[in-house]
This record gives sequence, C-alpha cells and structure tokens, in this order.
Amino acid sequence: MKIKAYLPFISGGIQSQLAYKWNFFGFFIGEIFFTFVMYYLWKAVFLHTDTGIINGFTILDMTVYIFVSNITQFLTGTDASYAIGEEIVDGSVSMRMIKPVSYDISLLFNEIGTKVVLLVLIMIPVFTGIEIFRYAQTGAIAFSASRLGVYLVSSILSYLVLFYFDLCFGFLAFVLKNLWGFNLLKGSIVRFLSGGMIPLVFFPAWALGILRFLPFSSMCYTPVMIYTGNWSAAQTLASMALQLFWAIAFWLLSRAIWNTTVKRLTVQGG
Amino acid sequence: MIEVHNIVKDFRKTIKKPGLAGSVASLFRPEYETVRAVDDVSFKVPEGEILGFIGPNGAGKSTIIKMLTGILTPNSGSCRINGYIPQKERKKYVREIGVVFGQRTQLWWDLPLTETYTVLREIYNIPDAQFKKRMGFLTEVLELDQFISSPVRTLSLGQRMRADIAASMLHSPKVLFLDEPTIGLDIVVKDNIRKAIRELNRNEKTTIILTTHDLSDIELLCKRIILIDKGRLVYDGELSHIRDTFGKVREISFTLADGSAAIDFDVPKHEDLAVVREGAQVSVRFNTSVIHLPDMLAKILAAARVSDIAVKDIDVEEILRRVYTRQAVL
Repeated sequence: MKIKAYLPFISGGIQSQLAYKWNFFGFFIGEIFFTFVMYYLWKAVFLHTDTGIINGFTILDMTVYIFVSNITQFLTGTDASYAIGEEIVDGSVSMRMIKPVSYDISLLFNEIGTKVVLLVLIMIPVFTGIEIFRYAQTGAIAFSASRLGVYLVSSILSYLVLFYFDLCFGFLAFVLKNLWGFNLLKGSIVRFLSGGMIPLVFFPAWALGILRFLPFSSMCYTPVMIYTGNWSAAQTLASMALQLFWAIAFWLLSRAIWNTTVKRLTVQGG
Repeated sequence: MIEVHNIVKDFRKTIKKPGLAGSVASLFRPEYETVRAVDDVSFKVPEGEILGFIGPNGAGKSTIIKMLTGILTPNSGSCRINGYIPQKERKKYVREIGVVFGQRTQLWWDLPLTETYTVLREIYNIPDAQFKKRMGFLTEVLELDQFISSPVRTLSLGQRMRADIAASMLHSPKVLFLDEPTIGLDIVVKDNIRKAIRELNRNEKTTIILTTHDLSDIELLCKRIILIDKGRLVYDGELSHIRDTFGKVREISFTLADGSAAIDFDVPKHEDLAVVREGAQVSVRFNTSVIHLPDMLAKILAAARVSDIAVKDIDVEEILRRVYTRQAVL
C-alpha cells in the first residue's frame, strides 16, 4: 500500500468538512445541548443519594465522565456504514472501484480528514473547559499531559474499532439495500453498551463481566476511563490491547466480507 | 487488446406482487426471478480501435462495461484486457483504464474542480510536468477554463460531463470506457467531447469503448459497432456494412399542393416499399434496385402536384429500429 496515494483523501475530507461548516456547528451545538441534559439528569440523581457516591462515582467524576464520553463519541464517531450504505444503494460504489485504491482505506482517510478539523476546532476548547471545571471544583490541577497522550492513542484505537465495525455493518446494505432503520438501532445499541450513556460499572456485575470483553467497551469506555484517571497502568494496557485486538478483528472481517460480496455485487440504477 | 469470451451475467430480482397485500407477502416470503442481463457475449477489440456499443435501454450495454471495468463479476465466461483479468487484479488493472459513467460522477462534489484533478494526480502518481501538459491539453480541448475553480456541485450537466471526461483521460489510460458520455448534452458540448475522444485516440492509440444512444456519436467516431439486444450480441462489424445492406433504400417525402387530392402511382410491389400519408405530407420509401430514383421521382411528379419535395437516405436509427424489431437480419 502506498500511503502517498491516500493523503489527498485527507485533504479532500478537510475541505468537504469546511464546505459545510454550518452543518457541523449545528451538529456540535446539538451534542453540547445533549451533554448538558445528561449532566442535569445525573445531578438530580446524585442530589437524592445519601453519600453522594454511586458505584464509586462522585458527582464530579460523573460530570467529567459525561463530558469526556460525549466529546470522545463526537471525535470517534464514524459515518462509514452510512457512507457505504448510501454508495451501495445509489450505485456510486462503482466510482470508487474504478480507482487504483482500496475501498476501505480511501474511505478511512477521507473521514480522518474530517476528524482533523474536529480535533483543531473542538477538542482543544472542550478539554480546556473540562480542566478549568475540574480545577474550579477541586482547587487542584488534575490534568496530565501523558494521560492525555494515552487517551488520544486509545481514542484512535476506538475510532478504528468503530470504523471497521461500522464498515462490516454497512456491508449489510448489499443484502438489505437500505440501512436507515438498522443504523438507528445500531447507534442506540452502541451508545448504550459502549459506556456512552452510563459508565459500564453501573451495569450489574455479571453484565459488566461480559461487556468488558465485547467490542463495545473498546469503542468509548476505555479512552474515557483512561482520561478520568480511574484505571491502573495494568488495566489501561490490558484494555488497549483488547482495543487493538478488536480493531484487527473487524478489519479482517470487513476484508473477508468485502471479498465475498463484491463478487455478487449488483449495481443499482444502471 | 481486449478479449471477451462467452460472458454471462444473471441478476436476481425480487418479484413483488402488486398492492399492499403483495408488499406484505414479499416481506415474509420473498420470491426471486433470475434475469439474464448479458447472455453469452464474445468479442475482441484490437489496440487503438474505437468500438461503439449500441442497443436499446436495458439491453445490457452498461452491464458489459461494468464487467469489463471489473466492477461486476460475470457468472461465467472471461474477459482479459491488456493481459489483466479485471476482477482478479483490480488495483493494477484500473491504473491503465479510464472510465466515465454518464449518469454518475467521479468528481468530488463539494470541492472546486481543480481539487479533483490534484487528488487524481496523487492517486495515479502522475509526474508534475506531465500533469501540467495533460491539464493544458484537456483544458483546451474540453474548454474547462471557465469553471475549473468552481465547486463541482455548481456545474451544469454539460460542464460536469466535460470535467468527468477530462478526469478519465488525465492519467493517459490505455483503454477508455465511456458509458453514455453524451447523454443529455447540447450539440456544442457533444462536439467538444467527440473532439477530445478523437484526439486521444489518434495521438495515443487509446482503445476506446463507448456506449451511446446518440447515433451521430457512432457515425462520427466509430468504424466498428456492436449491437446488443436483450443481452445478446446481435451484430458485430463495420458500420459501413450496415449502410451497404440498407443503403439501397431511399425515402422521398413531399408536400401536396392540394392536401385533399388523391394520389395514385404505379410502383412494382417489393419488401421495402412503404407509403405513409398524413394530410398533405407524404413519404414513400422504396428500394432503388427495384425502381431507380429518377423514375420514382418522375412517377410522383406525374401523379400529383407537389409544392415541396426531398430525398433522404435511410438513417442508422431506422436501420436499428428494424433490427431490434426483427424485421431485418444483418
């Protein structure tokens, strides 16, 4: 694979993203709004506890968790299944196939381009905000650059797991021809089981035991727990190894599906 | 060099019975039917030839192009192009081909047109000097300069199509597949595109396969044509052969000075003879081997008072119509 051939997809992604900047601000404001709704909900819940601690989480832990998990989902979110679903439905998948590039990698780099914009415009102010909030609440600086670094690596792994999971899911469009309803279903399941809504430790012990090893925890829970600083080094390493495992597993699975379905491809609409 | 041996492509279609009940029924027990889109088609194209594919809508032309470009896999049979099997060595193979599907675009929708070309330069790894020269040539022939920095989504159909054609030619492909490259375009744009196709073929010996509905594309560009109907190859040969076979047929159309006058002329009956009258407008088709053109004209002029008269060649469209409806065998 020649990486140089894929670099223009990044710059194309950046430019496409900037071409629709208002769309993206609207989306971002919606996410912020949703985050605050979650925050006030949890605040109400914590006010009605005697100790102010639920499953080892204080209100401060919970607040940081909510904000970090939402920003993580915003950064690692992928439209792969949507993109491939649409390309299969309207037949434009053929336009990718006539180029001497891999289908998945061109899609991946395209999306990474859009992520670069998010990183620059969104991540820095949001994390600064979170840290200022933490400082205001505790009077101590909890920020650690090395932890942020590990968080970013883990987020990238999260993104790869999500991307290739989503790609496998998107290939269902070959069978179903339209994915809209299934995409909504998948989005809810992922959000719930990946720790995007509530920390996984809030699940019953037996469920947590299973969820820890399912791919969902690798999609969001792992980087968030790394950032909040609740994990030991050993647990961090083990979880990141699991992320890597799932990323590779879904990558191989997507390859296998692509290689078999492409032979049965029917291009819709002429 | 393109070699195609006995390719067959079947599609599976869901049969939906009409109405709501039918929709519900097909939800629980879908029924399928197999449609043979391409049925045992074989042909060869030598290097540097422009080959025209013609056929009615749904004849299977696009499906053949999609198999040749490696997008679809034939159910049986094989194609080999420049030594590659398109489906097996897709990435290497598509480096050497250019493709335009008239109804789709390979341009980046949200970006200025130039950006697409920059992306393509990287993908195909075209050296700077060559890229500049190529862009210069394409910009001139296809007149891209007025809209080259506009976002693709703002282009008109004609502009977009010229831009798409340029994109397919940028990397000097050895084989160019053009599926309906002139669909829905005005005559000036069509001329631009034909000029580009001809120049590329002449200067670089590019093999070109094009499908079209527009027979003037074929007449101006191709010597050889392949006729496809219902997935089968109906005719493969020189366009001039078709002309020769049907070239003896002429059509005289004239306007009667008095629209209600009866006309009666005595012509020996033969297969190609057909007289159509609509009010004052009359057209007579006949074979010149049965009755010579001057004699026919004399007969008409003797039989009626005519205010206007014209003699026409039978056009390719008419020939194809006959072949499709099986009135004629080539």
